[in-house]
Amino acid sequence: MEDIKAYIESGILELYVLGDVTPDERLQVEAMALKHPAIKAELDAIERSMELYAKENEIEPSEELRHRVLGSILTNFGDDNNFPQKAVPHKTNVVSLPPRKEPNFYKYAFAASLALLVASGVALISVYSRLQQSNTQLITLQLQNQHFTNRVNLLDREISVFRDPSYKLLKLEGTAKNPALAVTVAFSPARKKVLIDMQNVKLPQNDKDHQYQLWALVGGKPVDLGVFDAPADTSQMKEMKSIARADAFAVTLEPKGGSINPTMDQMVVLGKF
Amino acid sequence: MSKKHKISLTEEQLVLSLRNHEKVAIEALYDMYSASLYGVISRIVIDTAIAEDVLQETFVKIWHSFSSYSTEKGRLFTWMINIARNLAIDKIRSKDFRNQNKNQEIENNVTSIDEQNSTIYKPELMGVKDLVQTLKPEQKSIIDLVYFKGYTHVEAADELGIPLGTIKTRLRMGIQELRKHFN
Repeated sequence: MEDIKAYIESGILELYVLGDVTPDERLQVEAMALKHPAIKAELDAIERSMELYAKENEIEPSEELRHRVLGSILTNFGDDNNFPQKAVPHKTNVVSLPPRKEPNFYKYAFAASLALLVASGVALISVYSRLQQSNTQLITLQLQNQHFTNRVNLLDREISVFRDPSYKLLKLEGTAKNPALAVTVAFSPARKKVLIDMQNVKLPQNDKDHQYQLWALVGGKPVDLGVFDAPADTSQMKEMKSIARADAFAVTLEPKGGSINPTMDQMVVLGKF
Repeated sequence: MSKKHKISLTEEQLVLSLRNHEKVAIEALYDMYSASLYGVISRIVIDTAIAEDVLQETFVKIWHSFSSYSTEKGRLFTWMINIARNLAIDKIRSKDFRNQNKNQEIENNVTSIDEQNSTIYKPELMGVKDLVQTLKPEQKSIIDLVYFKGYTHVEAADELGIPLGTIKTRLRMGIQELRKHFN
C-alpha cells in the first residue's frame, strides 16, 4: 500500500492525464491502473477534473464547422456501410457462377475432343483409302512402264536388226501353187542368227495338228530351223535356230512339232540368195 | 448557440455506439466534445481556419482509429484530447505551417508569438471566474502550458525558469485544487 501511495504521490498520474508521459510510462501507468484499483480510482478522479477543466476552457467552434466535420466523416461513413452490404450479394452471385461454368467448360471440352477424334478418324480413313488408290495406280503405272520398257527393248532389238549391216533380208516367195504367199527372213551369217518378221508373214492359217517349219538349204541339204504358227501371236521378229551358212530358206507345212525332213510337196515359200 | 439540438449520451453509450460505427455516435461525440477539444486546439493553433482544420482532422482520426481506444486505458476524453493536442502540435511544427507564418506580416507575427508564449490569464479564452480563486496563478500557468499547449513539464520549467521539482509540485497541487473545486 505504501508503494501505491508513493506511486500516486509521485505525480506520474497527473502527467499521464496531461499527456506528458513517454510511451513506456504510458504503458506502465495503464498496467498499474489495471492492477491496483486505488490507482485506477485516483487516475479516474484526475481525468474527470481535467475533463471538467477543459470544459470550463472550451471554445465553441462555428456551427458551419459542425456540418463540415460531420459531413466529411459521414460521407466515408456511408461508404463504409454501403460497400460491404452491396458486396455480399455481389459475392454470392460471383460465387454461384463458377460451379456452373466449370462443368460447362468440361462438357464443351469433352464434346470438342470427341468431335475432333471423329473428324481425325474420318480424315484418317479418307487418307488411307486415297493411299490405297494411289498404290494401285502406282502398281498399274509400274506394270505399264515395265510393258513399255519391254516393248521399247523389243523394238530396239528389231530396229537393230535392220540397222545391223550383217543382216540380210530375204523375201521368201510363194511357190507355183500359191504365189501370193510370202515370208520375210533376216539372216546374219556373222551372228549366226535367223529371224522371221512375223508381221509380214503371209501364210494361210495352220490347223491344230500342223505347224509351219523353216528350213535352211545348206549345200542342197535341208536344215531344220524351228516351227512357227500363222497367223502369228506376236508381230515381233521371231528368232529361229542358229545357223552360220545358208544358200536358201524355205517353209513347209509339217505335222505339229515339225519333221526331221521337209515334206517337199508341202513347201509354201522359198527364197534363195 | 442552441443547445437543445445537441445530442448527448453517457460515456458508456457513446463508446459502444462508436465501436458499432453508428451515425449517431459521431454526432453525439462532436456535440459533447468539440468545444472542449477546440479550446485546446485554439490555444496551440492561433489561426482560426487552421484550428478548424485541425479539429476536423481530430474527429476524423478519432472515428477511424477508435478501435485502438479501450476503456481500460482511461476516460475517452483523455484519449481524445491527446489526439487533438498532438495533431495541433504537429500542425504548428509542419513545414506548411511554418512557411505560412513566414509570409505573415511582422505585426501579426509579433502578436501570434505573444499569444503563443503568453501565460497570462485571458478572460476571453477562459471565461471562468470561479477558477481565478481556485487556482493560484503559478499553478494555473503550468497546467495550461502542459495541458492546453502541449509543453512537457521539462519544457515548462525552462520556459518559466522554475526548477523541475517545483513544476511537478505545482502541477500536482493545482490539480488537487481542481479536484476539490469540481467535487
